[in-house]
Amino acid sequence: MTAALVDVPSEEWIELIDVPDDEVRARLLRLGLLDGRVKCHRQIQNGPVVIQRHGTELALGRPLAEEITVERASSDRAPR
Amino acid sequence: MTREDPMRSFTSDDTETSVALVGAPNAGKSALFKRLTEEYVDVSNYSGTTLKTTSVTMGSTELTDTPGINGVSSFSEEERVTRGIILDTDAVINVVDGTQLDRDLFLTLQLLDMGVPTVVALNMMDEVAAANLELDIDTLETALGVPVVPTVAVTGLGVDELQNRLSEASAPASTPIDSYYDALPDDIDATRAEKTLLIEGDEPTARRVDTRNLVADGGDTSPAVVDKRETVYRERRTRVQSTVETVEHATTSGEPSKKWLEDLLMRPATGIPIVSGLLIAVFYFMGVVVAQMVVGYTEEILFGRYYNPAVETVVDNLLPTTEWAAHVEFLLINDNLGLLTITVQYILGVLVPLVAAFYLVISILEDAGVLPRLAVLADRGLNRIGLNGRAVVPLIVGMGCVTMAVISTQMVGSRREQIITTALLGLAIPCSAQIGVILGILAGLGFVWWAGYLLVLLGVLGVTGIFLDRVLPGDQEALIEQLPRVRAPRPRNVARKASNRTAAFLREAAPLFAGTAVVVSTLDYAGVLDAIITALRPLTAALGLPASFGQVLVLGLIRRDFAAAGMTDLTLGAPQTFVGLVVITLFVPCILTMTMILKEHDARSALLMWVGSWVTAFTVGGLAAAALEVIL
Repeated sequence: MTAALVDVPSEEWIELIDVPDDEVRARLLRLGLLDGRVKCHRQIQNGPVVIQRHGTELALGRPLAEEITVERASSDRAPR
Repeated sequence: MTREDPMRSFTSDDTETSVALVGAPNAGKSALFKRLTEEYVDVSNYSGTTLKTTSVTMGSTELTDTPGINGVSSFSEEERVTRGIILDTDAVINVVDGTQLDRDLFLTLQLLDMGVPTVVALNMMDEVAAANLELDIDTLETALGVPVVPTVAVTGLGVDELQNRLSEASAPASTPIDSYYDALPDDIDATRAEKTLLIEGDEPTARRVDTRNLVADGGDTSPAVVDKRETVYRERRTRVQSTVETVEHATTSGEPSKKWLEDLLMRPATGIPIVSGLLIAVFYFMGVVVAQMVVGYTEEILFGRYYNPAVETVVDNLLPTTEWAAHVEFLLINDNLGLLTITVQYILGVLVPLVAAFYLVISILEDAGVLPRLAVLADRGLNRIGLNGRAVVPLIVGMGCVTMAVISTQMVGSRREQIITTALLGLAIPCSAQIGVILGILAGLGFVWWAGYLLVLLGVLGVTGIFLDRVLPGDQEALIEQLPRVRAPRPRNVARKASNRTAAFLREAAPLFAGTAVVVSTLDYAGVLDAIITALRPLTAALGLPASFGQVLVLGLIRRDFAAAGMTDLTLGAPQTFVGLVVITLFVPCILTMTMILKEHDARSALLMWVGSWVTAFTVGGLAAAALEVIL
């Protein structure tokens, strides 16, 4: 089931599958955030979305998070 | 030496070598830098275009600290500065956060792909244990093929070994990246490092290599950028993952977390009150403790009672009673801006305490990891005025010194954001020296005036931002911000940062103050100031202020805080004082700031900002005066 990153509830495990901006995609790739599952740590109301993986926390501004498509995982197990 | 690259070499004999500390933000580079260079005093700050890098010469080795990065490319100002250093250095110490191997090894492998001689400092080993992790260092060393030294930078553990093994810095002769080099022209004149960046599509490297090849060939065989960035990055990530799998083991299951403070800060419901509380504490400290108590003591007692009278007596006695001596005497000790009296009082008695206090506060927030979280909280509000949360840093720095903030605007993103931030800084952000004096005056008027003053400034800030967001071409850049762990600030770190910054500020500002003082005193003596004040008469009258306010404005053309200080000498009613304060806050940026704006932007933008602030200051001041007349 795909959704926009802004529409994912906090604390849900997701996979980022489409990041339209080349530079943003490269930056996320470097940090390992495109390798597999990440946690949508916090949705700040009308503000940035914080995603988390292995203790790396990254805040993405809302306009950016609106463009990112994610795959919502069915279970909430940690990825390893 | 295991590398065949003819362009660079690293040896530890007595020839001069350069070594750079490279790593992710918050991996502990600066703490390690401090440990490695403890016994050396020869520290120098090189100011790059925006970011300061620090170098220390240790015997025959020059060690440079670099801005934190997650990879070598040109996505941000930090990356551009650090990439430049990496391309020119003989070797690097790659500082890796042991608790963040999965994030940090990408940079390590990239450095090795580039063939940069490397020693890995596996830092934060104390926190690795606390996070229930176990790292197999021998395996990591084998996997990377370069020395790996476990360290705890804050306690100094492993620093000696790191120093000893620096001479073993190396890079594997070949890495999986080699297979991609085929995509480049065979005869290209580029180092391994440059080739790697070329296939990763790094534009500045392409230009650098282009120029060289054009010069060498005299022809136009330009090596086009071969953009295989995504493929190369993905391949490197698979190497990172397989390395982490063999090296890192969880000792117990379960997540070790003490993240409640982080969580509280990030939730608007709790974060905003915490931040507000923090800001109130900061303003109490800056505005009451430092600006009033400390500065009051230095100005009135130290300078007013002891220093100034003593200097005046000495100058009086030393100078002969001839006509030319009277001119000199006026320059040196006049009551407005004497070079030896008021100027010195101003720099040492007012600026030093205020600026030092401000940098102390900023360094504490920075060391505690609070600033990126402020950016996240502020993002929503700043989005409305065409900025993203990162602009919160220059805006806060601006309250210390607008000039420095203008320099730091290069870090907020695109040119569009830089212009908006700079305009807001020049217009509506009072600097610490000014805030101190203004807070003092407003404290005398009462809380209502203080709140009204804040409201007017925020209103101007909002309207200007929205206006610029509408009229400037382009789209705003979205926030991408890594959030470091929140931790208790370390006093040594904080003290070092604060004192370095204060010293750097004084080195730049003090000569300018002195120069300004001489010019203004000369103009004063020649009667030019009086002429300007007369010319300003209609404007001051329109605001319902006395002619002497014109003198305040003239001072404000030069230094915003001179104007604020000048306000203390006028005897005005509460509404007049309020209008005066609003006008001098919105009034033109100081000469030093204008110089910086000219340097960072173009003359047209600078002139527009300057004229715009005249117009805004008098329009808003006039409106405030009219409104107050109706209300009171």
